[in-house]
Amino acid sequence: METNTSYDPSFAREVFENVDSGEEIKMCMQCGMCAASCPLREHMDYPPRQIFSMIRAGKRDMVLNANSIMMCTSCYTCQVRCPRGIPVIDVMHGLAHYAISKGILTRKDTAVFGREFWQQIYKTGRIDEKDLSRRYFFADGIITGIKKSLQMARMGIIMLLHGRMKILPEKKIKGIKSLRSMLDKAMQTGKGGSEV
Amino acid sequence: MKYFLYWGCSLEASGVNYLRSLKPVCEALGMEFEEIPDWNCCGASVSYAGANDLAIKVLNARNLALAEKKANYDIIAPCSSCYIQMIKVNHEIQENESLRERVNSILAEDGLAYNGSIRVRHIQDVLFNDIGTEQIKRHVTKPLNGLKVAGYVGCQSVRPYGEYDSVHNPVVQDKLLEALDAKPVPFPKKIQCCGSGIFLPEMDLCLGLVRDILDDAVSHGAEIISTVCPMCAMNLEMYQDRINEKYGTDFDIPIVYLTQLMAVAFGMDLKRDAALHHNVIPPENILKAAIGN
Amino acid sequence: MEKKAALYICTGCGIGDALDIDSLKELATDDLGVPICKDHPFLCGAEGVDLIKKDIQDEGVNTIIIAGCSGRVNYDVFNFGPDKIVERINLREQVAWCQPPKEEDTQMLAEDYLRMGCSKANDTEPLEPYIAEEEYSKDILIVGGGVAGMTAALEIAKAGRKAILVEKEDKLGGFLGKMKKLITMPYKDLSDTGAEDLIKEVNENDNIKVYTSATVAKISGSPGLFTAEISADGNSVQERVGSVIQATGWTPYDASKLNLGYGKIKDVITNVEMEEMAAKGKITRPSDGKEVKNVLFVQCAGSRDPEHLPYCSSYCCLASLKQAAYVKEQNPEAVNYIVYKDMRTVGQAEDFYRKAQEDGDVFIRGSIVNINENGGKLSVETDDELLGERVNIEEIDLVVLAVGMVPTSQPDQIPRIQAPEGTEGADEEGMIEVMPDSGFFAKSALNLEYRQGPELPTLKYGFPDSHFICFPYETRRTGIYTAGCVRRPMEVVKAKEDAAGAAMKAIQCCEASSQGVALHPRAGDISYPEFNMQRCTQCKRCTEECPFGAINEDEKGNPLPNPTRCRRCGVCMGACPERIISFKNYSVGMIGNMIKAIEVPEEDEEKPRVIAFVCENDAYPAIDMAAIKRMQWSPYVRFIPVRCLGSINLVWVADAMSKGIDGLLFLGCRHGDDYQCHFIKGSELAETRLGKVSETLDRLALEAERVKFLEIGITDYNRIPTIINEFMETIDELGPNPYKGW
Repeated sequence: METNTSYDPSFAREVFENVDSGEEIKMCMQCGMCAASCPLREHMDYPPRQIFSMIRAGKRDMVLNANSIMMCTSCYTCQVRCPRGIPVIDVMHGLAHYAISKGILTRKDTAVFGREFWQQIYKTGRIDEKDLSRRYFFADGIITGIKKSLQMARMGIIMLLHGRMKILPEKKIKGIKSLRSMLDKAMQTGKGGSEV
Repeated sequence: MKYFLYWGCSLEASGVNYLRSLKPVCEALGMEFEEIPDWNCCGASVSYAGANDLAIKVLNARNLALAEKKANYDIIAPCSSCYIQMIKVNHEIQENESLRERVNSILAEDGLAYNGSIRVRHIQDVLFNDIGTEQIKRHVTKPLNGLKVAGYVGCQSVRPYGEYDSVHNPVVQDKLLEALDAKPVPFPKKIQCCGSGIFLPEMDLCLGLVRDILDDAVSHGAEIISTVCPMCAMNLEMYQDRINEKYGTDFDIPIVYLTQLMAVAFGMDLKRDAALHHNVIPPENILKAAIGN
Repeated sequence: MEKKAALYICTGCGIGDALDIDSLKELATDDLGVPICKDHPFLCGAEGVDLIKKDIQDEGVNTIIIAGCSGRVNYDVFNFGPDKIVERINLREQVAWCQPPKEEDTQMLAEDYLRMGCSKANDTEPLEPYIAEEEYSKDILIVGGGVAGMTAALEIAKAGRKAILVEKEDKLGGFLGKMKKLITMPYKDLSDTGAEDLIKEVNENDNIKVYTSATVAKISGSPGLFTAEISADGNSVQERVGSVIQATGWTPYDASKLNLGYGKIKDVITNVEMEEMAAKGKITRPSDGKEVKNVLFVQCAGSRDPEHLPYCSSYCCLASLKQAAYVKEQNPEAVNYIVYKDMRTVGQAEDFYRKAQEDGDVFIRGSIVNINENGGKLSVETDDELLGERVNIEEIDLVVLAVGMVPTSQPDQIPRIQAPEGTEGADEEGMIEVMPDSGFFAKSALNLEYRQGPELPTLKYGFPDSHFICFPYETRRTGIYTAGCVRRPMEVVKAKEDAAGAAMKAIQCCEASSQGVALHPRAGDISYPEFNMQRCTQCKRCTEECPFGAINEDEKGNPLPNPTRCRRCGVCMGACPERIISFKNYSVGMIGNMIKAIEVPEEDEEKPRVIAFVCENDAYPAIDMAAIKRMQWSPYVRFIPVRCLGSINLVWVADAMSKGIDGLLFLGCRHGDDYQCHFIKGSELAETRLGKVSETLDRLALEAERVKFLEIGITDYNRIPTIINEFMETIDELGPNPYKGW
């Protein structure tokens, strides 16, 4: 143990105040059950337990740049096993949202995919799977988009042939205007410090 | 019995065989469905990238409010992601008064309010608890004759609340399969995640998860895998080629919805009712062999 | 008493199927001379019991020999009053259930048990309880007026007894009186200590006599008959009491022994000092009197550290959480850092840990590297295990060392003895620390006039020795109980429970002593050891070896027994080389006759004989349990139950060996650090004594392997067949005992 860092409670405060479900990490007793339960644990920079410990110590950059916070599959295994009943998933989502809103895109694909997903809901009220994939593939520009689409094209055709793709684009729901104003209001008044 | 059926976006596209088979099966069992008028997407499990928690809660609260306004039926959400999003928000609003007020102040934009009177159910819950395996057995005219099925439960259809089944060792799907005279195989990975909503952007990592699940099912003798979630179905079915390519495996196992198996066992039309033609890995031969057609 | 014996053989539970009952009856009447001999298919049923009662009434039977189930069951059914002798022969578990039915060896086993049982019944005398001539007292002396002592006094008073409470300080209360708040059930919030109310309740209770600024100068006598000399404010008062509770509590571990800046940096204090400061009002920095903002708590300060206090005191985590709450209460902006090894908030106290987390206290798992002072503030360097980094925690106003509990009984100095050469852990002069295993070392509290020292014998770490699991409040001095933190570290709520437990024990002791019956573990036994003093050689073995210090000595070295201190284990009986100590129903001669009653077949019959002396407390029930599970083993072994292996007398080895018995097994409880022996030292003494048995065997020119000592716990029943069969293999290899047929 060589590095000498200080404990800085200010980041923990920032998380408690600004991150959705951020205050829940107070209850963590560092048992590591979440880490042991996570299907993608091997691929994470730090398991959830350590993320929580780093928040307490004040390691802001390391936490917000950790790939872990954007790698949650939302399988709820950690959450049902957590002896302290911490909604680990909500915390991870909250942290991911917070990091993305600060422009940190450690898992860029996931962030872009999620953002496209949300924007489509905001636009029409529903999700059109084929439109979503198209937007996701082309989010990085036309060249990468074509490349990515080609990789997935075969699957797209297969799905289309099996009638598992809508041919017509998704129509807006009737109440889309009021839905949007609801969502605007929620985004303004809710936690997370983000913008649409 | 009347229910709202909140089928969600996926069941109109990639999960179309789920919805097509679910409707005739449930109707045969005496269930009637209403649609929630002008429903919106639940936000699924990836919206957090663009939205905060409150916005996602509002999405679901709107659906609940629309349902409550129309009738006091339970909502059946066959898609696990819709189910978890909706039941979670429902619980939170029911249990937290200040949240309810906050959400209602936003729903008021469209003159809506939600009082927390609706119950959100998974289709497995309704089939097992409201209908019951005895009733289901009575509708079985073409028993599956011991077809070895891996009942893949996945994550969000039982976790985190475990309202109708154990979150650690779920049994309901297996019991429903037994009612069809199928033989559910023991299958430890039946609750391991397939990658869910982040499968597409994290495909490299998630292919490994699906490989493990398929391998577990096959090595326990499964001839077919059943599921109750459009994401599970998609991730398990569509990527077998890629997995084979990447890991040198030779998976070619059909993935069907539980309701498709029910339609088959109920002696319904394999195309119109069981919607088997939508499946990319064709299950027809295995199922026909099982029912002796 | 003119004896009239009757033998009843029960044929139920498979006994009748396994044995030839008629031939057993023939043996009893023809060879053993039992005048009445009957069998019944269901002896423990009403009809069977009536059969016996009728014979008692009509035939004048007063010695009842029951051959049936184990003596461990149905003892209430076969109780015909204290003036009747009842001897139980275990034909069910130890013959019918563990041996193949209707075989010659099985029948021979049953026959031997019949011979042994009848022999014992013949030697047994009817029992009479010991009642002293002096008047018995039922008052209870409590030493220590803290929460445990006060609670015990109140419990005793509530039971309608008188308590005499002796406190060394000028005021009752102990540590409880010095505390600001408590965390107690339901462990959600801080609550008042309740000390003032408790003190008031004690002072106002007519059944409690309180001596403050007082100590116990001397306690003499024995349970029911103690005389305590109390010196209070310079005066000496005498009180007669029936039993004693020691609730002298704890002292905090000396923080200056730790390398954590205590004594050097003013703003490093102990948790006890923190509590007292908080109780007085504001929490401030001792260096400049300023209010504190950031506080760092060091958990396990010296605890769970082999260099300091090797054990966990179990209260410190909770105490720090409580004190952190004081800090937050004083200044909600304050930050508490808690550096811990493991947070141990046992049971429901976990809820308060949750509360502390909700309050935002920062928990750091790791160990302290350094505490530095610079510019009026402290900084603490810590190896943070969970971050995997060395971190520096700055801007600290106060460091609180959570020190553990040292029992007040811990000797000031751990005794050291000269160790045999090459002993691990010995110092340069070859001295080594030993466990202070006698009443001579513990710190002064009771001043007992006992041959074996003035205080309670203590265990490692200085806590009074007790059979921790089975009889928690018991000590190695009968009628003297411990409660509260002197017994083991605990928090207030547990100390109260503890006090109630000890109070009940103390009351029980007064009652049992006055009735002349034994206490745990032979509760209700009215037999007691009698000394044939004419033949005593003043060797002092009995006075030294009694695990309970029951026997005093006169100037000449003659033993002075105190029957109410006695637990009836018979360790003195096993110790006595002159064999002058005996019970009316248990003696050296009696067991010797049982050994002699066993029929030893001729060498050419190839039927070896082994005797197993079996501790009644654990090993005997383990054998019964093995039999209940229908395990089987060699039919050549005869079990003789003994009160404790400590009561075995080496003459039995000579008796058995010279008779031609091929081998001897001694099955007793585990001894050592985590002993299971119900009489604490019995099985250990037995093994030591058996270490010397080779002399006897040498004299007889026999192999040492013929005698084997084994530790058997109650849970070891599944090992019984293996143990016995392995020993039988050894005996086979050694060949028959050449003394057969002599």
